[in-house]
Amino acid sequence: MTTVAQSTTELNAASRRPENIRSLSAWRRRLLIGVVVAYAALLILAPLAALVSGAFAKGLGASLQALSDPDVFSAFLLTLKIAFLTVAVHGLLGTVLAWVLVRYRFRGHWLLNGVIDLPFAVSPVVVGYMLLLLFGRTGLFAPLLEALDLKVAFAVPGMILATLFVTLPFMAREVMPVLESFGVEQEHAAATLGASGWQTFWMVTFPALRWGFIYGVILTFARALGEFGAVLVVGGGIQGRTETLTLFIYRALDERQYVGAYSAAMVLGLLSLVLVIGTELLRKREK
Amino acid sequence: MNKKILKTLITLTVMSLLAGCGGQSTATSNDASDGTGSTKLILGAYTTPREAYGELTQLFASQWKEKNGQEVTFEESYLGSGAQSRAIVEGFEADIAALSLDGDIQKIADAGLITHDWHTLPNNGMVSTSIVAFAVRKGNPKNIHDWADLAQPGLEILTPDPKTSGGARWNILALYGAALRGKVKDVAANDEAAATEFLKSVLKNVTVFDKGARESITNFEAGTGDVAITYENEVLVGKQAGQDYELVIPASTILIENPISVVDTYVDKHGTRKVAEGFVQFLFTKEAQEVFAKHGLRSLDTEVAEATKDQFPAVTDLFTITDQFKGWEEATPKYFGDDGIYTQAIVEIQQ
Amino acid sequence: MTSLTPPLTVQEPPRRAPWGRWGIQSAAWTYVTLLLLIPLAVIFQDGLKGGLGTLWHSISLPIAWSALKLTLWTSALMAVINAIMGTLTAYVLVRYEFPGKALLNAIVDLPLAIPTLVTGVMLVVLYGPQSFVGAWLKNQMDWRIIFAPPGIILALLFVNFPFVVRAVQPVLQSLDLESEEAAATLGAGPTTIFWRVTLPALWLPIASGALLSFARAIGEFGAIVIVAGNIPLRSQTAAVYVFGEVESANRQGASAMSIVMLSLAFALVLVVDWLRKRGRKDAEE
Repeated sequence: MTTVAQSTTELNAASRRPENIRSLSAWRRRLLIGVVVAYAALLILAPLAALVSGAFAKGLGASLQALSDPDVFSAFLLTLKIAFLTVAVHGLLGTVLAWVLVRYRFRGHWLLNGVIDLPFAVSPVVVGYMLLLLFGRTGLFAPLLEALDLKVAFAVPGMILATLFVTLPFMAREVMPVLESFGVEQEHAAATLGASGWQTFWMVTFPALRWGFIYGVILTFARALGEFGAVLVVGGGIQGRTETLTLFIYRALDERQYVGAYSAAMVLGLLSLVLVIGTELLRKREK
Repeated sequence: MNKKILKTLITLTVMSLLAGCGGQSTATSNDASDGTGSTKLILGAYTTPREAYGELTQLFASQWKEKNGQEVTFEESYLGSGAQSRAIVEGFEADIAALSLDGDIQKIADAGLITHDWHTLPNNGMVSTSIVAFAVRKGNPKNIHDWADLAQPGLEILTPDPKTSGGARWNILALYGAALRGKVKDVAANDEAAATEFLKSVLKNVTVFDKGARESITNFEAGTGDVAITYENEVLVGKQAGQDYELVIPASTILIENPISVVDTYVDKHGTRKVAEGFVQFLFTKEAQEVFAKHGLRSLDTEVAEATKDQFPAVTDLFTITDQFKGWEEATPKYFGDDGIYTQAIVEIQQ
Repeated sequence: MTSLTPPLTVQEPPRRAPWGRWGIQSAAWTYVTLLLLIPLAVIFQDGLKGGLGTLWHSISLPIAWSALKLTLWTSALMAVINAIMGTLTAYVLVRYEFPGKALLNAIVDLPLAIPTLVTGVMLVVLYGPQSFVGAWLKNQMDWRIIFAPPGIILALLFVNFPFVVRAVQPVLQSLDLESEEAAATLGAGPTTIFWRVTLPALWLPIASGALLSFARAIGEFGAIVIVAGNIPLRSQTAAVYVFGEVESANRQGASAMSIVMLSLAFALVLVVDWLRKRGRKDAEE
């Protein structure tokens, strides 16, 4: 009922208004719109404008130069690596999770359903801390890691786990409503015609799901790009090893590299924005 | 359409896995440790000497290459001293720990990761020093010249959070020590109650607690606050970077002594002991000490100190953690423990 | 943008090999257990090691208690403001046409794309004591935004902006207009209709969106640590307190506060889920 997929296309249709209601007088309506726009402008646009102007404070050239720092490149690469891996894992398992929650009845359904919303509300610091309790030098799994010569805390695997944790809800929450509205009749029909479970899923269900799936992927990706608190606590911000782009920004601020910091921040924001808007445009075109 | 998506996802996953395996050798294994090929050293330091170590690591790498034919690359991390110490104890496999105060190195030793006595290095293991001082706005509009001025009502002070920052702890002890020594106007000497009252009056004026000394001074630079209590070398580095604030040295202040140590467990695990010890020894040479001085740190090397004495004004009453407080072993619980003088003060001023 | 209604009706798929179903279910449970339940369990175990008494003691220390209180009241206030402004924004987006409407719609999602650290930095740049606005407020009215609770609320409003809007929008969009039209026929003015007909129909998404943003606000770190000042008992929130405890190796304090935050978050999430279920039920009727 409320996926991004659905709400934006419906929104793009003309606004719906009851036919016969006496509208608010023109000035009151304008006032209302004005208040909302002013709020959005002051709250959201103003800081973003400050960000862009900070990035270009010394001109486009300085901004580009800051971005071509090898540290920026490796930090960005690490961010992307973690984000792609996260998307791959959640893309598969998040869909499975959605399927299980929509199609099956079982004890503990409410728990599974509730628990996957938790990452929205858990503080990133707590996420990092939990992982340290598990994988730190004195953590629960420390002997196991020692035996396998694996590093999780203060290394990339820990950061991947942290990112997986905080992005878990997105995939399932985008796919579930779409899966539900799709209903089982077509799946039943396919089964009657002799299709196997897998075939049914791929040829019947998934095509109907795909926009929910895509939006889930995009949101997961965008959230993974911007993760900061959890990867800071579990990764340690080691330059050249566990520094994502957000951690680079944090370091750049410390080093008084303001143009670099703001430029990198702008890149992250732009990337997410482009992905979201791009997906919506693609969808409109398909229609 | 769905086939395309599947294919894309698979490609991306494979790519990222390959990139992951390729780009990152397991963190613990390292190439040869004694003189062949290349090796990597991991440095865990506090926030302030970032620029100094940036230069020193490069200098050392080129010298080591010449002498021993081995490539050395560094991975550095700069956090508040307390935070860095904690990270190393929790599993950050730093080969070398360069922290703000001896107590933080002690914590690593207490965890069993350092098994030798680092005080056997020159100068009792202290690789650099500084003093606690103030950064004030250009022209010193609030007329801050000494500790007593910090208690004036309405003043906005920046100092980092003692929970995470070593610099913050030095600041508190410098203030307290000066008060105990009778060097603060209107505060009786050797009177703990009076000194604590003075501490509280200054704490009341603190506007922001940043995580580390570096964050604190950059916050000050962004326009927050009237005065920042900080390391002298932070102010000097900031001025080198073009900031126009001024340095004010109080009449009585503490000597900030920064220790350094090789982390035994990790250098043995990585096989980097020789290089790591080489690096630490290098830091005590005249050349390295000159680099420290260049970045605002007072050298303990007598020659270098003499040569740079114009850069570093003498302090009227300089005391150390050992003179005044019987060392960090005593001071940490007494001031920063759960019932510590500072810990209680910060609560009492709000109630 | 984030979808907000999990399904209520479970629809059984066609009969299939039982092992297939079992396999998929275990995959789902393993996934959630490994990634979520184990980390959560370990922190509960760590914090409750000394028993509930020790937990209570850690939480009731003045610094911890004060951090918790500050977090709760700033998050609650933010949730209320967000509920109001979010609803108004959704209303304006659904019911009116005006220049820049598409831009406004796109802006709503922006906070999700910006790393919270950057949000904090930008707010300090814009409204901090050296900025035009900040300096004026300080000199003229002795008000401080940044490094004080108002700054916290501002940062929280930014980060949570999408939640109420995106919860209300679709419901408003598909609202049955019969009741409103009927009220109009009976002579009610637009404002009355809004208060008496529209708003009551929206209370579920408003409540669930507001609660979700409240839950998120409790854990907010990246923006707050830059913007808040972090003075114990004055401007230090629970998440920043946990950070300080973790960084100074005080596990008891960190775990205790984390448990309280997690329990609160879980309770809120369950309430939100229940509200959404009700919303689904109502929509089906």
